Amino acid sequence: MKRISIVIAALALVATACAQPQGGGTPSGSPAASAGPVRGGTAIVAIWQEPTTLLPLYRNQTVATVVGNGVVEGLARTRADGQYEGDLAKTFPTLGNGVTVSGTKMEVRWELKPDLKWSDGEPVTSADIKFTWERWMADAKVNTRDGFSDIEAIDTPDAVTAVVKYKAIYPRYADNFFGLLPKHLYEKEADLSKTDYNRKHVGTGPYKVTDFRVGESITLERNTFYREKDKQYLDKIIFKSVPSSQVAIAQLKAGEVHAMWNLLESEMLDLEKEPGITVLADRSPSVERIELNTALNKDMTEPNSTHPVLGDIEMRKALLYATPKQTIIDKLLAGKVKPGNSPVSLGWASPQNLTQEGYDAKKANDALDKAGWIKGSDGIRSKSGARAALTITTTTGNQTRERIEQVLIDEYKAIGVELKIQNMPSAALLSGSWSAGDPRKRGTFDLVMFGSSPGIDPGTTVTQRYYSKNIPSAANNGTGQNYTRVKNADLDKAIEDSNATLDQEKRKDAYARALKLLNDQYVIIWLYDRADIDGRRNELQGWVPNPWQEFTDNMEDWYLKK
Amino acid sequence: MGRYVARRLIQAIPLLLGISVISFAILKAVPGGPTAAYEGNPYFTDEDLRRLEAAFGLDQPIHVQYLNWFTHFIQGDWGYSYSGGQPVLQLIFERLPNTLYLTIAVYVTVLVVAIPVGVLTAVRQYSWFDHIVTGSTFAFLSTPTFWLGLLLIISFGLQLRWLPLGGIQTPGMDFDLVDRARHLILPVATLSLVQIGSYTRFLRASMLETINQDFMRTARAKGLLERVIVLRHALKNAAIPLVTVAALDLPGLFAGALVTEQIFGWPGMGRLFWDSATRSDYPVLMGILAITSTLIVLANLFADVLYGYLDPRIRYP
Repeated sequence: MKRISIVIAALALVATACAQPQGGGTPSGSPAASAGPVRGGTAIVAIWQEPTTLLPLYRNQTVATVVGNGVVEGLARTRADGQYEGDLAKTFPTLGNGVTVSGTKMEVRWELKPDLKWSDGEPVTSADIKFTWERWMADAKVNTRDGFSDIEAIDTPDAVTAVVKYKAIYPRYADNFFGLLPKHLYEKEADLSKTDYNRKHVGTGPYKVTDFRVGESITLERNTFYREKDKQYLDKIIFKSVPSSQVAIAQLKAGEVHAMWNLLESEMLDLEKEPGITVLADRSPSVERIELNTALNKDMTEPNSTHPVLGDIEMRKALLYATPKQTIIDKLLAGKVKPGNSPVSLGWASPQNLTQEGYDAKKANDALDKAGWIKGSDGIRSKSGARAALTITTTTGNQTRERIEQVLIDEYKAIGVELKIQNMPSAALLSGSWSAGDPRKRGTFDLVMFGSSPGIDPGTTVTQRYYSKNIPSAANNGTGQNYTRVKNADLDKAIEDSNATLDQEKRKDAYARALKLLNDQYVIIWLYDRADIDGRRNELQGWVPNPWQEFTDNMEDWYLKK
Repeated sequence: MGRYVARRLIQAIPLLLGISVISFAILKAVPGGPTAAYEGNPYFTDEDLRRLEAAFGLDQPIHVQYLNWFTHFIQGDWGYSYSGGQPVLQLIFERLPNTLYLTIAVYVTVLVVAIPVGVLTAVRQYSWFDHIVTGSTFAFLSTPTFWLGLLLIISFGLQLRWLPLGGIQTPGMDFDLVDRARHLILPVATLSLVQIGSYTRFLRASMLETINQDFMRTARAKGLLERVIVLRHALKNAAIPLVTVAALDLPGLFAGALVTEQIFGWPGMGRLFWDSATRSDYPVLMGILAITSTLIVLANLFADVLYGYLDPRIRYP
């Protein structure tokens, strides 16, 4: 009996603890009750993935950018309108104004803003720019050297000026130095990935990382050495690690957090109805697409081979016409996104007048009839022995994508094309690795659905994905990401043009041409332009979205209204 | 006894070796790999990919990759996470305290509740108390933890707002006992309710078996107090199967609770394993598997030795 009383006593204790008021559960802002921005307070943002590193040279997760925005700064940045501006640099250098071309080489002269300091109080100098490049080239574990490997040398004539000398014309120079490294600290470290700087990167941004508790939270506190004194309204911003977007939504509703990162389009509707919460759907450069394999569906496929079904452009056209983009958007994505037209949906390089044809089942049937695809007794078409039976592959576990597949199975069946699902985990489908067997690389797919975004400068993406020399094959050791195996001389020429000049207008024209030519090949169905959706409680104010920098771009302007 | 333990330990070496080979092979058999993480970076090129595959040793044949891992491992170098670069041991040791904090709380709760309840249900067989306990233990036994966890979160966190929805403490807060306790209640309840069910059933069954044996009648005939009979004579004998089960559950304390930690956002080993698995972070996964498999082998040995201590009839060959 004594035991029972212990149990009862324990239960009573538990009950008392339960009944405790929500102490400290809701973070408090400043009590000042004014309409304008308020100083002070702590904002809590839920993130349902956790950055494994904040160091700009290793990071590859979107969430690392979300958190890093408070800390990491580079020489230039992209504004919300898709144009460049100086960040740590006084101005953004352009042709004739800091950028000089001599023969086949070019130089970019960067000048730092005056009196810049790292968050430890040490001055930022041109030596840091040079060190950033050197470290990027010396460390084997950095994520990408795109751009840095095109640099020949960097001169530092004075403490605020760095002259970056490129080996060839390099139009994408704007994005190279997106995250500067502090030489005085990092030069002492042989392998940065093994240091604490991995989590507590020292930057120049308005905030600095003061606490990084793995699996729990990352705390950013006001950087007192920030170049604009007392610019930040909030004292602290805490990124709270939660296990899933569902949990983040629940905590946002319950008021345990002020904001959350990254909602799915399908999760938006429910949250929008919640009082006291604002859901922000901003444009994003990411485009969800279905790529069609024009070569044989076969391991290490020969780039010059022809897919028996998808090799026919009329079949590819028919699949585009039979894809009900708008219905998919309305029914599965709450009507919150726009149908896609090209891989470059945003920014200065985005072709404004380029469109891809919409849904028209009759046109699809006509195209197939005309091309000689005859319906058999089972309703599936065939032509000279080739049956119109295809597979579609996407990442398992993604509900929206799986539902889209169901829609496509029905729609394609109606035009006499059989579609079967062959999904795989994203680690397998999107490894991007020839040796790990990425089916897109190896050519073992018919239709593949995934999302991808170009940088503000689409040069790398467009060249890697649509240039005929970048078709991965056994002969080139799997180099390139031209997964559709599209080959077109005019398209190649337009891509070459876009890479050969520094003139933004000329490059823009070249991209408009290239992407029109790409659409004319009917190798990719641009399903929809994805949105960046984040949620916040109304007391957190001051957000200005920037599709190129995530929603935390202007953390220093955020404030808590009471 | 000493010779027995020594022999079992020596036998464990090939066993653990085999486990490590099989774990490695299974991890590698999963198609794809850690490089999918770079898919989102628009500036990532094929040269970058090849450089990284070389840096991580992913371009080597699988047996070479295993030997590389193994030779470093036995020298105490457990490798580095692909995605963050941190040493595997550091990653494990910063999570282990959180996991132990949760699992020991669960373990203690389970034993403190299950032993008296199990004894009582046996002593008062077919009483209303026994019926209620039997009914609810079966209910909890057949409840999946993820479902129970979500149910508790929804009712006590979202609806009633009595308890936090997850995490180990309020972010940004300094250590606070009440705050910690409030965060502990729901995950502990989720994990213990299921286990209390199974432990209670074990104990009830073996108690019933013991209570009806001859020596119990002798004890009663001697005029011993009922409490002494139940606790000293019956429980000590009936506890043997439970002790074995409890000892075998010990390694689970270190492995953490995969699903529950995930649901409650608990920064422990279970979540580290989950996150590493989704990133194909092989060195971290291998580190965790090495630790848990070693502990399981040791716990088995411990259970066997303990069994012999409790039941002197058992002899070790």
